[in-house]
Amino acid sequence: MIELLEMCGFTAAEAGKELPRFRQVFDRLGINEEDINRGKKRLAEYYDIELAAVRKIFRFCLREMADSVMAREDGKEKVIFGFMAPIFDVIGAAAMARSRDVYAAHQCWAYLMTVGSIFGKTVKVLETAEQSWLKSGAVTHCGNVKTLLGLLESSLLPRPDLLVSTGFSCETAPKTLDLLQEVYDIPVHCFDSCQDRELVEYDQASKRMIELAARSLRTFTSRVGELVGFPITDNMLREVLDVKKEFNLAMDRLHFLIENSDPLLLGPAHQSLLMAFGSLTIRLEEIPEATVVLNDLIKDLENRAGKGEGVVAGGAPRILTILPMHHADPRLEHLVEEMGLALVATDFGFNIPYEGDTGDPYIEMSVHLMGSMASCLPRRIPLIIENCRRLKIDGVLNTYHVGCRTVAGDALMIGEAIGKELGIPVLNLEWESFDPRVFDKDSYTWQLETFKTLLNYRL
Amino acid sequence: MWSERLEEHLRQRPERLDEYRKQGKKVVGSFPGNYVPEELIVAAGAAPVCLVNASGVPQLEASLTVMPNVFCPFARTLVGEKLLRTNPYYRVLDMLVAPITCQHVKKAAEIWECHQDIELFKLGVPHQHNYDFEQQYFQDRLGALKDRLEAVTGNRITDTSIGKAIELYNRMRGLLNKIGELRLAPSPPLSILEFVRLNHASFYADPEFMVEVLDQACEELSQRTGSRDTDKPRLMLIAPNVGLGDYRMLEMVGEAGGDIVIEEIYEGVRNYRQTVDINGEPMHALAVSYLNDRVPPAFMRYSAGKRLDFVLNMIREYRVSGVIWYELLCCETYDSESYFFLRELEDRKIPMLILESDYGTTDAGQIRTRLEAFIEIVKGELVW
Repeated sequence: MIELLEMCGFTAAEAGKELPRFRQVFDRLGINEEDINRGKKRLAEYYDIELAAVRKIFRFCLREMADSVMAREDGKEKVIFGFMAPIFDVIGAAAMARSRDVYAAHQCWAYLMTVGSIFGKTVKVLETAEQSWLKSGAVTHCGNVKTLLGLLESSLLPRPDLLVSTGFSCETAPKTLDLLQEVYDIPVHCFDSCQDRELVEYDQASKRMIELAARSLRTFTSRVGELVGFPITDNMLREVLDVKKEFNLAMDRLHFLIENSDPLLLGPAHQSLLMAFGSLTIRLEEIPEATVVLNDLIKDLENRAGKGEGVVAGGAPRILTILPMHHADPRLEHLVEEMGLALVATDFGFNIPYEGDTGDPYIEMSVHLMGSMASCLPRRIPLIIENCRRLKIDGVLNTYHVGCRTVAGDALMIGEAIGKELGIPVLNLEWESFDPRVFDKDSYTWQLETFKTLLNYRL
Repeated sequence: MWSERLEEHLRQRPERLDEYRKQGKKVVGSFPGNYVPEELIVAAGAAPVCLVNASGVPQLEASLTVMPNVFCPFARTLVGEKLLRTNPYYRVLDMLVAPITCQHVKKAAEIWECHQDIELFKLGVPHQHNYDFEQQYFQDRLGALKDRLEAVTGNRITDTSIGKAIELYNRMRGLLNKIGELRLAPSPPLSILEFVRLNHASFYADPEFMVEVLDQACEELSQRTGSRDTDKPRLMLIAPNVGLGDYRMLEMVGEAGGDIVIEEIYEGVRNYRQTVDINGEPMHALAVSYLNDRVPPAFMRYSAGKRLDFVLNMIREYRVSGVIWYELLCCETYDSESYFFLRELEDRKIPMLILESDYGTTDAGQIRTRLEAFIEIVKGELVW
C-alpha cells in the first residue's frame, strides 16, 4: 500500500504516517491487496505518473475520499455533502475554514477517481443502487447518481447532516435526494434555476436565470448557516473565491497549453482527472498548494513541449470530445491515445461570455451556467462549432452520457450540425460516463479505427 | 348527444383552425403539463391547442433521427410530429409555448427551437416554489408570455379579457371536476377511458364549445349513475402521462375486470381541481394557481411526499382497493418514485402494479396477463 500511496504523490514519510488510516478506509471500501496491485498497474498504464504534479492530484483525490469516509471517526460534528452541485466547493471551503467541526465535500468525484479510475471497483456500489430505486435496464438512470445512492445505502459514506444538489441539468439527482429524505430521513436541500433561455434573447435571459440561481443559492448558504451555527457571509465566500481564482486561472492556462499543443502533451485520461481536481472541496488553506500543483504541471508540460515530446505523434488528428469521457474508468481515453489520436479538448471548458455584473459573489458563483453543458441546445451548437474552428479540430468524438437526458438529448443534433457546418467526421458513441460495465474494447476499437480512417482520409 | 356533438366538432376542428388563421387570427399551441395558462391565449384572442398526442411508430422512429431512445415516447412524439408534419394540430401553429418542466419535454422544446420556423416561448417553471422569489419568477415569466402573445396576435390583453378567460376555464375545470366526482358513486357512470377522452378533447376543442358540451355531459352522466357494474374492483391510476391515443392499457383494465375510478396523471388530464381566483390581480392569481394549486409532478423538488399524501387521500375518498402505476419508458423521475410508492402502499396493504409503456404493441399480451393477475389479487382471489 505504501508504494501505491507514493505513486499517488505521498512522500515516504507521509505514506508511513497515513498508512493506518488508509488501511481502515480501504478495508471499509473493500479494497484488498489484489485491488491495490491492480491499482498500481492502472496508474502506471493510464496516467502520466512520472509527472510529480499528476501524482499530487491523485493525492488530493485520495485524501478527500478518505476524509469523506472517515468524517465521523474524525470527529466532524456537521457533515455536509454536495452532489452535482457546482460551486459547492466554494461554500464547503468557506464553512470548513471557519470551523474544524465541519466537514464538507462534493461527492463523488474523489471516490470515482480513486475507487473507480485507480482500482476499477465501483460496480458493487452501482449494483447496490440498482437494487433500490435506480434500477438497471432501459430506463437508463445516471451512473453518477447511482454511485451516490450506492455509497449511502452501503454506509460507505457516513450519513450527512445535509445533502445538497441542484437541478440545473438533471432531475435524477434532485429526485434521488427527495427519496433519500423520504426513505432515510436524510436532510436535503436543492438550489435551482430555470433553463428557459431562448436563443433570440440569450444574454438577457442568462442574466435573468443567473440572478434566479444566485437567489436560490443564498437559500442554501442560509440553510448551511443554520446547520453549522454561524452565518456563511459574503466576505467568507469572497475570500475563497479570491484564493480559488488563482487555481482557476492556472487550470485555464493548463487547458490552453494542452489544447494548443502538437504533439499532444498529456493523455486524454487526464481530462477527467483535471475535471475531478477542479471539483474537489479543497480546504481554503490548501488551495494555494493545489494551485502550485497545477503550475508545476504547466512547467513540466512546457518542458516536454520544449523538447518536442508528447504522448502521441506530432501532426496527429486533433480531436474534440463532447464532455470528458469517463469519470471512473480511463480505458476508452487510453484507447484513443493508443490509436494515436490527439484529444486536445472537451467542450466542458467552453463558455459564453457573461455580460452582467459579477460583483455579487453569488452571481459570480452562478456564472458556470454560461458553460457549454448548461447552455440550451440552439446556443450550445454554435458555441461548439466556433471552438472547433478556433482549435482547428479535425474530428469530434461525440461520446454522450446516456444516463443524462440533457447531454444525450443534445448529442445527435450537435453531431449533425458539426458534420454539416464543418464537414469533419463525428463519431457518436453512446456511453455511460460513470459505469465501467459499458466498456467493450473490441467494439470501441472497431469504431475508433473507422473514425481514424475517416480522419486520415480527410487529412 | 353530447358525445356525438363533440366528435363532430373535433373532426372539423383542424379545418376550422385553418379558416381561423385565414381570417388573420392566431393559433397558439402549448406542451402539456398544466403550467401554461390557456386563459392568456384566449385573452389574446387566439385559439389554444395543447399538444397531447401519443402517437405511433412513424413519429417515434422519426424522432430517433435527432434524439436517442432514452427519451420517453411522449417527448419523442412531440419531436416526431414536428418532423413528420402529418398531424394538422402540430403544423397549424403560429406560436408554441413550451413550459420548462422535465428534461424530456425541455429537450423536445429545444429541438423545436432549433428548427427556427415558429415563434417559440419557453415558459420558465421554477422546480420549487417555497420562496416568494420563485413564485415571482413564474409570475414575471407569465408577464413576458402575455407580452409575447400581444406581439404575435396584435391584440392587447386586458385584465378584463383575462378575467373572462379565467371564468371560462374555471367553468371548464369545475365541470370536469364535477364529472370526475361522479365516480365517487358505487357504480360510476363513466369509465376512465371516457373521462380521459373528455380531458383530451378539452385540449383541442374550442373552449367555449367545450364548456357547453361538458355542461351537457355532466347532466347526462349524472342521470347515468348506477348503470355500470358495481362488482369490479375500484382502482386508482398514477401516471406521468396518458396522451391522446394511449388508450390500450385503459381498455385492458376494463377488459380484465377492473374499474379505474380516480387518477393522478401529470400530463394528459387537465388540472381540474384547480380554481383560479377571480377576485385578485389576474396575473398574480394565474401564477399562484398554476404553480402552487396542484399536486406537484415527480420532477418537482420535494414532491414525492406531497404526491403520496394526495394519493392516500384519493384512495380513501374513492374507496380504492388497488393502484396501477403506469409510467412511460425512460421517465426517470416517475420510475424512481415507483419504488417509494410501492413501498409505502405495501406498508398499508394496498396492492400496486407497475406497468411501463413505450407505446408499442408487442408487450400487449404480457400487460394483459399482469393486469388480470393483479385484479385477481385485488379481488382477493390470489394471495398478495
